[in-house]
Amino acid sequence: MAAFVIRRLLWLPILLFFVSLITFALGVYGPGDPIKVLLGIRANPETIERLRHEYGFDQPFHIQYLRYVANALQGNFGYSLVKYRDQPVGGLIAHALPVTIQLNLVAIFLGLGIGVPLGLLAGLKRDTWIDLLIRGLVIAGISLPIIFLNPVLTFIFSRRHDIVLTAANLRFSIGPLLPMVQGYWDGIFSAKVILPAFIESLGIIAVMTRQMRAGMIEVLSEDYIRTARAKGLRERVVIVRHAMRNALIPIATILGLMMGGLVAGSFLVENWFGVPGVGALAFDALFSRDYYITMALVLLIAVAYVLSNLLVDLTYGLLDPRIRKA
Amino acid sequence: MGTLLQVKDLRTEFHTQDGVVHAVNGVTFHVDEGETLGLVGESGCGKSVSVLSVMRLIPQPPGKIPAGEVMFQGRDLLKVDDEEIRSVRGNKIAMVFQDPMTSLNPVLTINTQISESLELHLGMTKEQARKRAIELLKMVGIPEAEGRIDDYPHQFSGGMRQRVMIAMALSCSPQLLIADEPTTALDVTIQAQIIDIVKRLKRELGMAIIWITHDLGIIAGLADRINVMYAGFVIESASNKEIFANPLHPYTLGLLGSIPRLDAALKSKLTPIEGLPPDLIEMPKGCPFYDRCRHRTEKCANENPPLDLGAVRHWVACWNWQDVQKARSKQ
Repeated sequence: MAAFVIRRLLWLPILLFFVSLITFALGVYGPGDPIKVLLGIRANPETIERLRHEYGFDQPFHIQYLRYVANALQGNFGYSLVKYRDQPVGGLIAHALPVTIQLNLVAIFLGLGIGVPLGLLAGLKRDTWIDLLIRGLVIAGISLPIIFLNPVLTFIFSRRHDIVLTAANLRFSIGPLLPMVQGYWDGIFSAKVILPAFIESLGIIAVMTRQMRAGMIEVLSEDYIRTARAKGLRERVVIVRHAMRNALIPIATILGLMMGGLVAGSFLVENWFGVPGVGALAFDALFSRDYYITMALVLLIAVAYVLSNLLVDLTYGLLDPRIRKA
Repeated sequence: MGTLLQVKDLRTEFHTQDGVVHAVNGVTFHVDEGETLGLVGESGCGKSVSVLSVMRLIPQPPGKIPAGEVMFQGRDLLKVDDEEIRSVRGNKIAMVFQDPMTSLNPVLTINTQISESLELHLGMTKEQARKRAIELLKMVGIPEAEGRIDDYPHQFSGGMRQRVMIAMALSCSPQLLIADEPTTALDVTIQAQIIDIVKRLKRELGMAIIWITHDLGIIAGLADRINVMYAGFVIESASNKEIFANPLHPYTLGLLGSIPRLDAALKSKLTPIEGLPPDLIEMPKGCPFYDRCRHRTEKCANENPPLDLGAVRHWVACWNWQDVQKARSKQ
């Protein structure tokens, strides 16, 4: 077991090397220039040159890259070049990351809490109107784009809380359910988390419902379910003890893989609801070619996915004894 | 010996997109206390469906049991409520299924799977049930039962799993054990072991058995009486000896003719039964074996023979059974 974990973790530096090299190359050679974004299009060419020299952007690629890696290994991931000028990237992420993780945890919790029971019900009531209704809702949930849901749901909920909308600056000053646009976040234990988390959870609900429905239908036709019924067990015991555990195995896999996504925020939801998370930070960084931030976020997400995959492999055995001993 | 189970005019059908499949078409049979009844027939003849109907284990829908009576200990199992049928299942009537590789739950230990019947029907505590489960595993010949009780099904071979299934079925000392092709998925040496175990346990525990198989060789050494099924009908019913010595239905005769025999002449060939069983969605009006029968007459095309013809204590559903008998004795 320990050997397995170590072997997997040894891959991490190799992966990070390639990911960082590609991302850095895209930052350096890709279109756009953070200095130009910073100074504006009418900037004096000499000023641009001076700043480029100051930041070391006039150095050859390999020097820039090696300097970045050397700094990163010491925990210094560079500084913001544009919007959060000269703030260390590490600090920016340290602020944004907990917010996004919290929001995503609520979203996953909602996704599981709504999706699994819905899928279970649909699977048990296969081809009845209940099943059709749930499947219809799931398709609607997965098909409606977030960019549509954001304003619509905001509108619906804000009406109920006597919205005061000032058209001039589009600042919302509405009931307790909604955080205001532009940086207003009370953390995970406030009612304001519900709407953005719900919108983020729609996709998760859809995936969980479909997987759980398909899983239940498959498991219920298995021979061992007939065996369980032939023992005279109550239908509830047959479903909970014999069917659900088997149907939950793939759910655990999906859930584990989602853990990697915990650190990646949603651009659309975070920006719309003014959640100061990773998604909002990444949005700023990408649009202003602030590539040290982009680099750090890409590396963070890569590490998160490697670790979550490892976690999936380790916990899989807890649910499925066939894998535990293998 | 009294009658333990009396099935009367049982019908089971499946409502599918292509139409209504008539899987069992008015089957009547009985099992006496402590006897072994063999149900023999080819795939799709309704053997499994009839016993699953007895246990009410047919998924409904698409399955439906529009008629019939299953009398067991003074009550009709088709009419009792769910609570009561559950108190019979696994307790008074237990089942062993065909494929031991898929019939055990992969995520539960053997202990859990055997103990749950004991806790449910006999009201044992977890500790009592575990002790009993170990005894049961020993009884079916699983070595080092104490060490294996907490293992999972995938840690057992096919033959060992079928022993676990038998231990599970016998856990509450049922009066009737239904064995639905329990040896079909096993290789021949393991088949013989499983049959020996069931024979021994029957002697020790005295339960009645319904043994379903398509293998006449297996049933010859096991059953007291044999029912031959075809297209959802019982078409011949007699003692084990009678069936093999004096088959009266052309189909039974055909079945016997298609088994290889050690005492046959060296160059003699097996005689297959030509043709296919009828479509269970569009059942013929007359005898279901009509198309394949060498002894058919006009009457057979129009009237389905009931199972009350034949000799003493030997019932056959064939209008021309006497011709069949004569033709056979000439050979």
